[in-house]
Amino acid sequence: MKPLIDLRNVSKTYWLGETEVKAVSGISLPIYRQEYLSILGASGSGKSTLMYLIGLLEIPSRGKISFNGRDVSKLADAKLSHLRNGSIGFVFQQFNLINKFTVLENVILPTRYSKTRLKFNPKNKARQLLKDFGILDRQDFFPNKISGGQQQRVAIARALIMNPAVLLADEPTGNLDSKTGPEILRLIESLRKKFKTTIIMVTHEKEVANRADKKIYIKDGRLVKKYL
Amino acid sequence: MKPDTLSDIFTTAIASFKRNKIRTVLTSLGITIGVMSVVLLIGLGVGLKNYLSDQFESLGSNLVIVFPGNVFSDEGGLGGGFGPGFAGGATFDEKDYLNLKKIPQADYVVPQFFRSLPVTANGESQLGYVEGVTADAFKILNLSQAYGQAFEATDVNRKTKVAVLGFAIAEKLFSSPEKAVGKTIITGNQRLKVIGVNAKKGDREMDNIVLLPYTTTFGRLNPNKTFFTIFFGVNDEANIASVINQAEKILAKRYDEDSFSVTEQTEILSTVNQVFGIVNAILVAIGSISLLVGGIGIMNIMYATVTERTKEVGIRRAIGATRQDILSQFLSESVVLSVLGGLIGLALASLIILVIRQFFPAAINLLSVVIAFSVSTAIGVFFGVFPAKRAANLPPIEAIRYE
Ligand SMILES: Nc1ncnc2c1ncn2[C@@H]1O[C@H](COP(=O)(O)OP(=O)(O)OP(=O)(O)O)[C@@H](O)[C@H]1O
Ligand SMILES: [Mg+2]
Repeated sequence: MKPLIDLRNVSKTYWLGETEVKAVSGISLPIYRQEYLSILGASGSGKSTLMYLIGLLEIPSRGKISFNGRDVSKLADAKLSHLRNGSIGFVFQQFNLINKFTVLENVILPTRYSKTRLKFNPKNKARQLLKDFGILDRQDFFPNKISGGQQQRVAIARALIMNPAVLLADEPTGNLDSKTGPEILRLIESLRKKFKTTIIMVTHEKEVANRADKKIYIKDGRLVKKYL
Repeated sequence: MKPDTLSDIFTTAIASFKRNKIRTVLTSLGITIGVMSVVLLIGLGVGLKNYLSDQFESLGSNLVIVFPGNVFSDEGGLGGGFGPGFAGGATFDEKDYLNLKKIPQADYVVPQFFRSLPVTANGESQLGYVEGVTADAFKILNLSQAYGQAFEATDVNRKTKVAVLGFAIAEKLFSSPEKAVGKTIITGNQRLKVIGVNAKKGDREMDNIVLLPYTTTFGRLNPNKTFFTIFFGVNDEANIASVINQAEKILAKRYDEDSFSVTEQTEILSTVNQVFGIVNAILVAIGSISLLVGGIGIMNIMYATVTERTKEVGIRRAIGATRQDILSQFLSESVVLSVLGGLIGLALASLIILVIRQFFPAAINLLSVVIAFSVSTAIGVFFGVFPAKRAANLPPIEAIRYE
């Protein structure tokens, strides 16, 4: 089976003035369809950077990334944006909803950037997702008027509206309490069956990482084999 | 662009304006003032030009006019000022009129006192163009009477309190113009008996005119006993130069040479056009400066907005917005901001023109509207493009990490 996303010896270097920060160095990682992968590591280890590389939000300094068998590491910004829009959904620790838009408007926002004809009605689909997640009654609320757990559900609905192949979640429970956190995790995990979504979970908590089928551990931007 | 995207852009623009009402208003203020002044200037310029052309067109030929000020001087019409209120402008009086009357080649001489004033009759009030003249004015202005009759030289001598109304004002005051004859009107505390109504001219000024003997105005209407202009009808075109010459000599005995002008009608028209061309250019330049300042204000605020909304840009980029999408979003925001300012400017200018119209023939025309729209759009684009480019070029990761 061919991987959906394939990272080959990928590095990402940032420059802070004169100093070189190797956020990710030499990571090779195949990601298969409908996989549930967790990326575990300490703070500053490069988890988020790796996730952004996988999510085509960042281009590698070195190495190659293929998406669906096609090399995307040198694609133009517009093409990468279209791929992100249609194939990748992000969920963040800080929810990252746009506060001046209502819940419903936030969920349909990705559809407005679609460059292909939509096969669904954005509002209907958004409402269906909100209903599935038990927050349809909050559709006309603004994000700062609902709870953290509810905001994260909205963010997940937004990530899912374009039927992405991959859902990337960066510490999605990091800002939630011990009751809501596991609820959100279960919700994300349920998407695999329901929408056949590949799930990549970034976390620094071992217990969270252990729920995945496959986990990788990174330290100082490198994959640490022996941990697995 | 899809309509959805367009509505998103407007929702975003309006939402961010709502959050920062004061800031939005202040930012647009420069554009508002700029557009307002440009529209006003065009309105005043066009109005005045039309007014003067109409005025002169309704006058007969071989006309020589005495004006205060030296607007129509040989240096191309830029010296001194225009009208008695301006520095150095002469104020003519009856003595000048009587002196000028002695010029043999002048068929008739008509002094003119002018004020626009409310005119009331049986409870109705209307704005009228009140003119104190001699009986010859009816000849110069080609005015015949639909009802009643004009006043005569004897009325001027006897200071009769009579008036001849324009068709429109008579109609407005008395519902039907023929009813006006014999009735009393009051203007500027002066009671006047209507003895005639002019035939319809189709000209706003002429149809709202209130003509009375200039001697009658010397009471309450014109306590200083002055004239704004004095007209001559010259018996032969060949004598025009000589009449001008004689009139200048007569007036020079009492006034400084720079404080009055004696000019042929056709010359006045071309000078008026020339002067308004220059005045308009200067005023448009003033408008342009405030537009420039307004544009810089918009640029400034858009840069602040971009910084403020860095995180939002990051989020939008993560969910698939291209650089182009971000660029159009911020660009349309600055255009909306600018056009908003422009429309307020247009509205304010229209209001002001509506008010001045009572006293002065100002006008809002299609040109003003087109200019208001296109100028403010252009400014929004020009000054919005740099901040919008900055937003579009934000690295998505840095934007999304931004707090
Ligand atoms: N734009 C940047 N410029 C410079 N250095 C950066 C940049 N982004 C990330 N880094 C550095 O790269 C390293 C990895 O950062 P990253 O955010 O990927 O870590 P992380 O594992 O997600 O940490 P955390 O658990 O705190 O979120 C860190 O040392 C960070 O300071
Ligand atoms: Mg991180």
